[in-house]
Amino acid sequence: MSHDSVEWEETDDVLTIRKYFSNIFKGFFSCLKGLSITTRYIWAEKPVTIEYPEVKEILPERSRSRLFNDVDDCISCTQCALACPVDCIYIDSEKREETEPQLKTSNGMPIKLNLTQFSIDTALCCYCGLCTTVCPTECLTHTTDYEYSQFTLASMKYDYLDEDVKSWKSRLKK
Amino acid sequence: MFDELLSDLKAKFPSVSIELDKREVGDSVLIVDAASLFEVSQYLKESTRWDFNVLQVITGHDLPPDFIAVTYILASYRQNSELLLRVKLGRQNPKVKSVVPLWPAANFQERECYDMLGVQFEGHPDLRRILCPEDWEGFPLRKDYKAAESYNGMEIYPQEKLNLADRQFGKKGQKSVEVTETVE
Amino acid sequence: MSHDNKTEQTVLVDELEGLKTDLLTLNMGPQHPATHGVLRIEIKTDSEIIASAKPYLGYLHRCMEKHSENLDYRGIIPFVDRMDYLAAMNQELGYCIAVEKMLNLEIPRRAEVIRVICAELGRIASHLMFFGTYLIDLGAFTPFLYAFNEREKILRLFEEVSGARLLYNYIWIGGVWNDFTSEHLTRVGEICDALHQQLSQYENLVTGNQIFLGRVSNVAVMNEELCYAYGATGPVLRGAGVKWDLRKNRPYSIYPELDFDIPVGKGEMGTLGDCYDRYYVRMMEMRESIKILRQCLDLIEEGPIMAKVPKVLKLPPGEIYHRTEAARGELGIHLISEGEKKPYRLKIKSPCFTHVSMLPAVAKGLMIADFVAAVGSIDIVLGEVDR
Repeated sequence: MSHDSVEWEETDDVLTIRKYFSNIFKGFFSCLKGLSITTRYIWAEKPVTIEYPEVKEILPERSRSRLFNDVDDCISCTQCALACPVDCIYIDSEKREETEPQLKTSNGMPIKLNLTQFSIDTALCCYCGLCTTVCPTECLTHTTDYEYSQFTLASMKYDYLDEDVKSWKSRLKK
Repeated sequence: MFDELLSDLKAKFPSVSIELDKREVGDSVLIVDAASLFEVSQYLKESTRWDFNVLQVITGHDLPPDFIAVTYILASYRQNSELLLRVKLGRQNPKVKSVVPLWPAANFQERECYDMLGVQFEGHPDLRRILCPEDWEGFPLRKDYKAAESYNGMEIYPQEKLNLADRQFGKKGQKSVEVTETVE
Repeated sequence: MSHDNKTEQTVLVDELEGLKTDLLTLNMGPQHPATHGVLRIEIKTDSEIIASAKPYLGYLHRCMEKHSENLDYRGIIPFVDRMDYLAAMNQELGYCIAVEKMLNLEIPRRAEVIRVICAELGRIASHLMFFGTYLIDLGAFTPFLYAFNEREKILRLFEEVSGARLLYNYIWIGGVWNDFTSEHLTRVGEICDALHQQLSQYENLVTGNQIFLGRVSNVAVMNEELCYAYGATGPVLRGAGVKWDLRKNRPYSIYPELDFDIPVGKGEMGTLGDCYDRYYVRMMEMRESIKILRQCLDLIEEGPIMAKVPKVLKLPPGEIYHRTEAARGELGIHLISEGEKKPYRLKIKSPCFTHVSMLPAVAKGLMIADFVAAVGSIDIVLGEVDR
């Protein structure tokens, strides 16, 4: 035949009748050994899976899931937005007038700026947790919520000044 | 080790300019002429004294406005040593002889270097782009690279996905976010 | 009679000469379960036997190196995670050590031990993943479920400690993020004990199995010469019988204090450097990792977990190339700094990229099914190949 055929190298050992049957024998018994292990799992081992969504898993406390910002405690320092490696946090603020009453966060930091926008595009977020570590008032935290899928990308953008989002606080804050 | 290596190389290749970029922090780099790179690396590989039998990686970085540097990181698994060997090429037409005949490992590494920085490796068996698509324009790791507007009719930065309003909004505040990011 | 026969034969040969046959082009991937991600290999075959294989990369290219030029040093860690998502701890460790060497930082003792615990657990989790998926490639399904059961325990521990299951961002420049509580440390011990038992079960289930041995022995031999020529590292190199492990040969962190062996391939079931040897090395490495973990549990002492790191991190001008032993081979970080907050250039030498480039060299003459075994045995993660 005239084509650039590829040779398949035959191995040197010849298949004797003895080898043929010993192969079958070895194959059968090594499989039997394996099967004895798998059969044990039918009765002796308990299932390790859970039946989601009937049973819901509670994530560990440090789990990094949906971000929540407690806007009452936020001092608009923009540290989180600077730390974010994917730039998904958008903050805008304006100066508080001196006539307005003085406000303090829960850990005693004075609030000098009025927060006018705090939104996070969760679709961009990579859940690295860097924003939560730099927050001086610990108002931006990762919660352990994990069921928050959406149909459109636009609805993944959360505005934390929104009343709906604010109302998560009672549920999430411990 | 570096001083010995330098004097040995200078004795072996008297006409080639070889200099050692010694750093206080981190690793020192041996810089050689682009024209004699192949001979030097052949010597480094084949001499029993240095025995750099493995090419670890070929990496390049852009030094605008004049140069593109290509670094060959060699390692010896028998002597347990490593060496950073660098050539500086003209930025307009970067060209260097391929080291694939010495280390087959260079095949993919040189293709990546070509893909990212546009360095031509002469004598490479199959110099094509490797990570970017064949018809991609420009060399992404050059410092002056700007991504094209569209690729094959697809918009590269779709406006509606960039949160542009937010970014402009944020600019008025304290954080200045660059709207035109240079991403590959 | 014999004379007639001969002419008949010549006629037949002549007829066949006129027929033109060609090699068949077959695309394996990008959506092929045996490529562990999105790798496309263009195979030219003569019936069942491969004439040449040509890998096409880039389907998972996420411009990591370009992105990191626009990020500060801390912000790169989540990106480094996403390269080898199956052993992210090892990648973080490699990157952080490179940056710390530039900064000349002294890491607290407790943090060092915790880092090694995490890296070794990550290595075990990654090798368990290899064990499971490799056997799926070869047609066995059950080991995958068993391996995932053990791996899940490790991931759960990581989640409790760091907050994430796969992409941890846990090892930081200067230390680690959170501390291990004493309960977590006991859990590490329990994982070791359970895994030690499970490993011998895996050996009964798989390693001695005649069908498995028939699939992996003498297949895709990568010998020492080939490994050096292509720069192979990690289990592939050790599978070829080379006793080379960066944890021993160029020690970093607290590895010099620890006592462990480097398992190498012995060619027990065929040629030295075949798929079985690479499998065998990984299985033995898990046992060595258990040994290391138990020693670490003895070594750990109370203390701080973060060194003093300036808030705005600026590296002195210079460059460094640092190699560490990740789960799949040597991870090299080449970092060039110009004294800014951001790196001037960050190049990652990923072991899988090198290993993929070896595939064309071993593919010729293999059967297609054996080629699947060869691709599985080098244990590629495409996130790391394409970066």
